[in-house]
Amino acid sequence: MSSEPVIEFNNIWKKYSKQQVLNNSLRDELVSVITGKKSRDELSDGEFWALKNISFVVEKGECIGLCGPNGSGKSTILKLISNVTFPTKGSINVFGRVAPLIELGAGMHPDLTGFENIYMNGTILGLSIRELKNKCSDIVEFSGLSDFINVPVKKYSSGMYLRLAFSIAVHSTADILLFDEVLTVGDQEFRDRCEQKIEELMALEKTIIIVSHETKMLDMFADKIVKLEHGAITAG
Amino acid sequence: MFKRLYIYKDLLLVFIWREFLIRYKQTAIGVLWAVLQPVSLMLLFTFIFGVVLKTNHKDYPYVLFFYAGVLPWTFFSGSTNFAVTSLSNNFNLVTKIYFPREIIPLSGVAINLIDYLIGLLVYFVLLLVYRTPLTWNFLWLFPLMAMLVMYTTSISFFLAALNVYYRDVKLASAFLLQFLFFATPVIYSIDTVESRWKALLFLNPLVFIVENMRRVTIEGRGIILWQIALELLGIIVLYLIIYRIFIRIERAFADVI
Repeated sequence: MSSEPVIEFNNIWKKYSKQQVLNNSLRDELVSVITGKKSRDELSDGEFWALKNISFVVEKGECIGLCGPNGSGKSTILKLISNVTFPTKGSINVFGRVAPLIELGAGMHPDLTGFENIYMNGTILGLSIRELKNKCSDIVEFSGLSDFINVPVKKYSSGMYLRLAFSIAVHSTADILLFDEVLTVGDQEFRDRCEQKIEELMALEKTIIIVSHETKMLDMFADKIVKLEHGAITAG
Repeated sequence: MFKRLYIYKDLLLVFIWREFLIRYKQTAIGVLWAVLQPVSLMLLFTFIFGVVLKTNHKDYPYVLFFYAGVLPWTFFSGSTNFAVTSLSNNFNLVTKIYFPREIIPLSGVAINLIDYLIGLLVYFVLLLVYRTPLTWNFLWLFPLMAMLVMYTTSISFFLAALNVYYRDVKLASAFLLQFLFFATPVIYSIDTVESRWKALLFLNPLVFIVENMRRVTIEGRGIILWQIALELLGIIVLYLIIYRIFIRIERAFADVI
């Protein structure tokens, strides 16, 4: 396996606020547009550190497992990798396209059919329309939903919903795949198929990050397991 | 902007396509709604001002007068209305996946533009029916439309971003739109306004746009060049400022939404 880093976290701190109305943050942003200054480093009232001084490196083709109790910062790490949010302190380098499969189906619309949602969700994950045209039949086949593909997804059962979302996700062409608690639902048969698909993706030298409570699942795939607690790395 | 959006052009297309599908899904008359709305407003105004109040705006048909004003207004109010809640309604996307956030309000502008273009076909038919003489000045309609789209986009970005921080925007914008409707010459003409108020009204770019759309299509007159240059400059500067702020605060959307 080649050792080129694809994700680098250098002393990352991330601050969140508990307050509902965030007028301070808008003011901070606007001030920084004018002065070019970065936001404040210290905690003020109602703020807390979601991540405290996190550093790690992920190399190409590696599969990393993130585990820890709720609120330990696992999902925040995924959000930072996928550029949805930015660190308060520290620097992040990510090389390659990221497909964040966080809460599968976030990009689905209930009124659209399964087929239409393949395009919707697929482009959100960074596939082009042309790529989707080629992959559409594969995605439908993998999901096993060909009889229901022209039905609006609001009529799907939650299992069917998940199958479709996962099928779209694993057909992404991204270099880095982020899975957040996605494999804990679905029946045994579909889970087996997902596990097989993850192995295939690993064979393709894709970098995979899996977040899960289930250590059994992580033991099976992960080259390295990072344990988090209260925003700090406790093992790994 | 175009460089930023180019990589995500497929996503923008799919967003537009999605909004278009959702809008007319489970509707009986589908895309006819695009025409029904401005036409019925126009008929209502024609009835109120032509039959009930018997006011006299101009020496050409009420039908043309009102429809020419209603069309750009419907586009503006439809787009901004969509934009206000567009980011906050899609919070499950905004907090999970990165893409240029302006794609969401922009897709609202795009579907309203499609409706606008459909409505415009009806306008052309009406102009023919009323035998309006066609002049070269008619072509001014297209730069005016471009200005309208740019201005609408700026306001849409502004409202969408602000509503991420303060939900007051959603409540205020419904009221402000109503206010703006009366500050825009949809149901009246600026010619009937005293000149000292005119300058004030022209601070609203919609006044210039709507007024001149009638002038170039129905009256066949040209545009005063220094006026369009000034309005265009104002619209471009406004757009650049708003877009710059939007890109800056976009980074924090996922944290505050």
